[in-house]
Parts: sequence; C-alpha cells; structure tokens
Amino acid sequence: MMRTNYLRVVAVAAAFAMAGALTACGGTPASKSTAGADVSVGAMKDYKADAAFKATAPLSVSILYSDHPNYPLKKDWLLWTKLTSLTNVTLAPTVVPMSDYSQKRSLLVGAGDAPMIIPKTYPGQESAYVASGAILPVSDYVKLMPNYQKKIKDWGLEKEIDGLRQADGKYYLLPGLHEEIWPDYTLAVRTDVFEKAGIQVPKTWDELTSALKKLKATNPTPYPFSDRYKGGALLTMSSPGFDSAMGAGTFHIGDGTRFDKTAGKFVYAAAQPQYKKMLGYFSSLVSAGLMDPSSFTQEDDQAIQKFVSGKSFVISANSQDIGTYRDLMDESLGAGKYAIKKITVPAGPAGEIMGGSRLENGVMINAQAAKSKNFVAMMQFVDWLYYSDAGQEFAKWGVQGTTYNKDAKGLRKLAPTIDYNGLNPAGTKDLRKDYGFSGGVFAYGGSTELLQSMMIPEEVDFQKAMKATKTPEPLAPPAPLSDTDREQATLISTPLQDYVDQGTLQFILGKRPLSQFDAFVAELKAKGMDTYVEMKNKAYEDFKKK
Amino acid sequence: MKDPIGYKVFRGFNVIFLLLIVFVTFYPFLNTVAQSFSSEGNITAGNVNIVPRGFNLETYRVVMADSMFWTNYKNTVLYTVVATTISMVLTTTFAYGISKPHLKGRNGFIALAVFTMFFTGGLIPNYVLITSLGMKNTMWALVVPNAISVFNLLIMKSFFENMPVELEEAAVIDGLNTYGILLRIVLPLSKAILATMILFYSVTNWNAWFGAFLYLDKKELFPVTIFLRNMIAGASTATSTGGSADNLTQIASNIKSVTIVLSVLPILAVYPFVQKYFVSGVMLGSVKQ
Repeated sequence: MMRTNYLRVVAVAAAFAMAGALTACGGTPASKSTAGADVSVGAMKDYKADAAFKATAPLSVSILYSDHPNYPLKKDWLLWTKLTSLTNVTLAPTVVPMSDYSQKRSLLVGAGDAPMIIPKTYPGQESAYVASGAILPVSDYVKLMPNYQKKIKDWGLEKEIDGLRQADGKYYLLPGLHEEIWPDYTLAVRTDVFEKAGIQVPKTWDELTSALKKLKATNPTPYPFSDRYKGGALLTMSSPGFDSAMGAGTFHIGDGTRFDKTAGKFVYAAAQPQYKKMLGYFSSLVSAGLMDPSSFTQEDDQAIQKFVSGKSFVISANSQDIGTYRDLMDESLGAGKYAIKKITVPAGPAGEIMGGSRLENGVMINAQAAKSKNFVAMMQFVDWLYYSDAGQEFAKWGVQGTTYNKDAKGLRKLAPTIDYNGLNPAGTKDLRKDYGFSGGVFAYGGSTELLQSMMIPEEVDFQKAMKATKTPEPLAPPAPLSDTDREQATLISTPLQDYVDQGTLQFILGKRPLSQFDAFVAELKAKGMDTYVEMKNKAYEDFKKK
Repeated sequence: MKDPIGYKVFRGFNVIFLLLIVFVTFYPFLNTVAQSFSSEGNITAGNVNIVPRGFNLETYRVVMADSMFWTNYKNTVLYTVVATTISMVLTTTFAYGISKPHLKGRNGFIALAVFTMFFTGGLIPNYVLITSLGMKNTMWALVVPNAISVFNLLIMKSFFENMPVELEEAAVIDGLNTYGILLRIVLPLSKAILATMILFYSVTNWNAWFGAFLYLDKKELFPVTIFLRNMIAGASTATSTGGSADNLTQIASNIKSVTIVLSVLPILAVYPFVQKYFVSGVMLGSVKQ
C-alpha cells in the first residue's frame, strides 16, 4: 500500500512542481527576499551551540503536524505550554491525519499554503518540491543553526549531508541526525525451540540454512521459516551482506542503483552477480522446503499467526514486532512456554556489513519564511528544538522533575505515575497521550545514549551486538539528478523496479531457473536500465566537477 | 387453479437461487460484523465466519471512549444533512428548469453542466479557490463545492421530462404559477426520484472524506471518516512509525471491521425509511390519453 501511495505522491508532486514553476514565474523568487526588510525580530544576538534559546519577543510559528491516531493531539499538552514558556515561541499546528500526511503536504506546498515548518519529511521526498521554489534551500541558512552544524561536525555526518544535495549543489531538507546507524529489522527466532534441538543461534546465512534443516527434521512443521513484510524486510537486511542493494515491495533500497567502488561508477544492483548469488541463496531455502514459499505473498497477519502458533520458528521483526509477538504468544502458547529473540542479522559472503542511514526524516522550511520578520528567530528555534541536546531531551523525555527524573549518574527515569511503552508499567498516565512528549513529530534522532535511554534492555543488547559485529556499508557518493532528468528517471525506474520485483519472486520461488539470470539482465536492459544508470553516472560526474 | 409442475419446479429453483445470491451478498457483511466482535488470534487464524469467536469488545471500547470520535460523528451527521439539503434544492430546481423544452438556451445550460463531468480545474486550483473564498476550515468547503452531481441532475431531468405535460396544463388552468406547479404538483409526484436522489447524495456525503482532508486543518471539524481512516492507518503502520499504543494493539482486520460497522450502521438504518418511496406506478391512472 505504501508503494502505491508513494507512486501517487510522485505523480501528484510532479504536477505540483509544474504548477509551482508556473506561479514562480509570476511571483517574486524567494531568494531575493532576504535583502531589505529586517528578518531578525525576536532572534537572540548571542545564540550559540548548547545555549538555551528564548526568543526576545513572543512569536507564533505555523507547523504541519502529523496526527498519530494512537496519541492524538491535545491542545493542553504540557509539551505545548512548556515549549512556549521555555522559548517564547507558540506553535500553531495545521493538523493532518497521519494516514494521508504526504498527500496533504504535497497539496499545501503546491498551493503555496504550507506552514512555515514542515516536519516528518524523509530524505528524498523533498526532491519533488525543489523545482517549485516553494521550499527554502536550507543549506544557505545553516549558519543560523549552530547546534545543527556542531552535530554534523561532531558526528562526522558531512558525507551523508552531501548526499542530500540537489543538482544546484544546495540541499532543501534539514534531516534528523543520528550519532550512529540504528538497525532495527532482523530475524526473530524461537530460542527455546532452537535450544531443544541443540542448535546454535545462526551467525551467517549458511548457518541459518543448516539450522532450518535441523528444525525441519526435529519438528513436525511444513516450513520452519515463514516470513512477513512480503519478504521485503528480509531482502533489505540481507542485501549488504551479499554486497547488493535490493529490497522488495515497500522496502526498496534507494533507487535501485549501487555504487561500484572498484569501477568508480553506479551500476544497477539487480543486474549484478552479487544479486544473483542472493537470489540463489533464498531460492535454495525455498526449494529445500525450509522457507515457506508464501513468505513473499502472504499478508503479515498470516505470517504472524504461523509464528505465534508455533508452526514456524523464524520470522522478520523489528523492536516493536517482538512485543506484538509476545502479546499474541502469551495468548496462544501461554506465557513462559516460549522464548523469542531478535538475533544479529546473519552475515553474508561479503562479511559482516550492515546497511542503513544515519539520517532520519526531518524538516523542510517554507521558502516564504525567509521573508518573515521572525525568520532568524524561527531558524534558531528549529535549531534548538531539533538539534540541541536540551531540545532533543525535552522532546523525548519532557520536563525534568515533572515527567522524568535524573539520578546522580545521569540515568533518566520516568516519573512514577507515567508510562511509556511499558517502560514503567505502574504508571497510569502515558508520556505521549497525556503529555505529548516522545511523539513522532518532534522526538527523533540524537545521540546513541539518548536513543537507547528509552529502549528496553533487550533491545539495547541487540543494538550493542549489531554495533560490535557489523561494519556500516560505505556511502554512495552524491549523484543528484537535474529536474528534467529526474522526471525521465522516474519514468524508467518505476517499471524497472516492478520488473525486478517480479523477477525476484520468480527466481526465489523457482518458477524461473537461475540459469536464466543473463536473460533477465537482458530484459532489464530492454526496459531502459542502461539509460537510467547512465543518467545517474552523468549526474555523479557533473556533481564531482562542481 | 393449481400451478403446473414445471412452474413449481421453476419457482423452487428460483427461491434457492435467490437465497444463494442473498447469502453471497450478505456473507461479507456478516463476516465483517463477526470479525469486529472477535479476538485477534481467532481472526488471524481464520476461525471467524459469521459467528464471533473469542468475544472481544476492546476495540469498540477504545474507539467509543474517545470524545473526538463523537465530536467527529456529530460533524458527519451535520455535514450530511446540510450537504444533502443544499444538493437536493439545487439539483431539483436546476433539473426542473432544463427539463422544459421551451426554456431558452436550454442546451447551453445542459452543456455547461455536462462540461464539468469531463473537465475540472484540478486539485490545486480547487484548493486555491476554496481558500481564497474563505471557506477553508468551515463546513461550507464540504457542502458547497460539487453540490450538484451532474449524473444525478441528468437522471432527474429525464424523470421530469417524462412527466405528462397534461398534468401541468391542468394545474395552469387551475391557476397555479410555475413555482406552485413545481412544489404542489411535480414534487409530490416525484417522491420516487427524490428518495433515490436523497439516498445517493446522503450516502456520498456520509462516506466523503477527501474534501474534509483537503480543506480542514482542525481535528474538531473532521468528519468521522477521517478519524476512522487515521485509526486504521495507525493500526497497520504502528510497527513502522515506532509506536504501538498499549491498549490498542489490535490487529488491523479487527479495527477495520469495527470502523466499518460503526460508520455503516446509521446510513444502513436510512434504507428502510427511504425504501417505501421506491414504488412504481405513482402516476398510474392520473392521465387518460
């Protein structure tokens, strides 16, 4: 579903970009506006990194707010009142249901009616709006944001930031920044069943094969491994270990290309021998009856049901899923009669490599903001709230002494009456529902310490194990397409990606023998793969020259 | 007189066949109702057909305990009533006008209406228009645009065209003017089509969410469709957006069924009341030719 949504967004956004370009011709370009009128009303003169921010005059800033149904917005949240008393800034939210957030964002940006701050925008989503001129090229204004710059410098994020640059060399999104990669998706296994059969938790994909074989031999089950997410999470997590880049369905990695270091250019990931190897691995699982062939087609609910009822022992999971599985298994198998765990992602032929990005969804700024008399103060506010340690802690934990307390060692603990995701089961109030903190609009990113401060110990262990064993995948260099190229690239890459999805399924399920892989590559070429990769390489070369 | 055997057999088959059709069309609905009362485990295991398994009211409780649900429900009722009223007044008068062959420029008016069936300004221009009319964040943004459905308009027009002209001539002789004819003669004889149109419009307005999604920014103005839609999204993406609320970790299929039942019940209740107007032959015998 997400995929079709995405396509729709792209189509709609393309239309908006055109509409925006038309209006831009008639109106004044946003870039001119900074000259002239005073834009620093309310701004702090001596604002610097790690300093507290408080606007010198009260101001109100509009913000697009994605309303999460599980913790719907309330006007009397402590988040709002405290934020205003701390910073002198009142946020005026335009409330959009989470279900259709990206569509509404496209509409508002396209109609020139967007709020000043547009959060919850994932890297790449901003590209569609660049041509319209409706979004501020924030790279020109980061000098107003000392905390943001400090985090990039301290955590060495320059290369990641370069990846955001558009063909004009500027970037338009202030991404959420993570100190380290935050891996989440992996396999969950029934450790009790593994132990009973005398199987070690697998460390590589090959070990997983032999583990599954033993499970099949010792348990009366048709398939020991039945996956959810239509196999998408599985292919995404295994890709780096196979030196490939391919997800499926909603889990596609990037745009389907991969940077080949030795050749110094981009290649199409699905046409590479590494990808063939990966397909070969999973098709061997299916043909040996170790993996449920319906893994790639069944609904999540069906896969979950097989796992929680003890018909399968391995399934994809993220940190939330584990909790869901446990709730369901307490009901189906009984508490204490099972044990499950997220294992470190098995290593592939390319070694212990982990994918993922240190950039999160972030904030776009409306280009009209640059004309506002409060522009500088607003940028300082964004800098403080989203990028300073104090701001991030505030968004995540709330107010010290009210929603949480800190002990001598700096360890945070929720107030006795407040719960968050079962962290303090005795609490009767909810940090998100009743106070507004830790919501998706403001709280993300940050230091590893802050990120892990709200994880259950088991998840922290998983994070540590991943960090200890894995090396992050090298970043691809920036290769931003120009506006005209991007449109053409989308026209080619979307059907190409769909064709790869089909091919992937056919190869893994054994409907097409792997000996036909070369024919498959030829078919991809016939669908314009070379033109697409060439475009990407040209963009890469062009950008290098700048 | 006794029916011949062949006819009896035919009737028997007819009954069985129609019952089968009833079952086929009714089953999905019953299944949905059953799912809405079932526990998540039983739904995923596929145990639920038309009887709830593992009786579960948790989702209903959570949804109905939310005061925003009731606020939005009220909005839906209000929007539906107002929008249907506006639509009916405009559609009826427009259709009646263009149903008269002696109206000057009649074809022009029809063409004007039909044109909008094929060409629209598009999403953004519409949005800009509504915004600059000052209708954003008001009920009017939902009830005024698209008040006339051209499809319904044409149906009504042909209905009025088929009305015997002699009836109206008789009314003129009795001294009624144009408005009197419409209100006292034509409309009372058009209950069937009016009921149909009211049903069409109210169902459309009841289910509408897109307009509200476009033009409303305040939660307290949303219709219940948006509330429920967002809830389903929350249930199916809780995993990827990093937050499953503890007391609402029902699976999506349960939540979906609950929302379907909650949103469909009132409009379902309208059908029996409207149905009595779906009668043929109101005009029977009124005119002798």
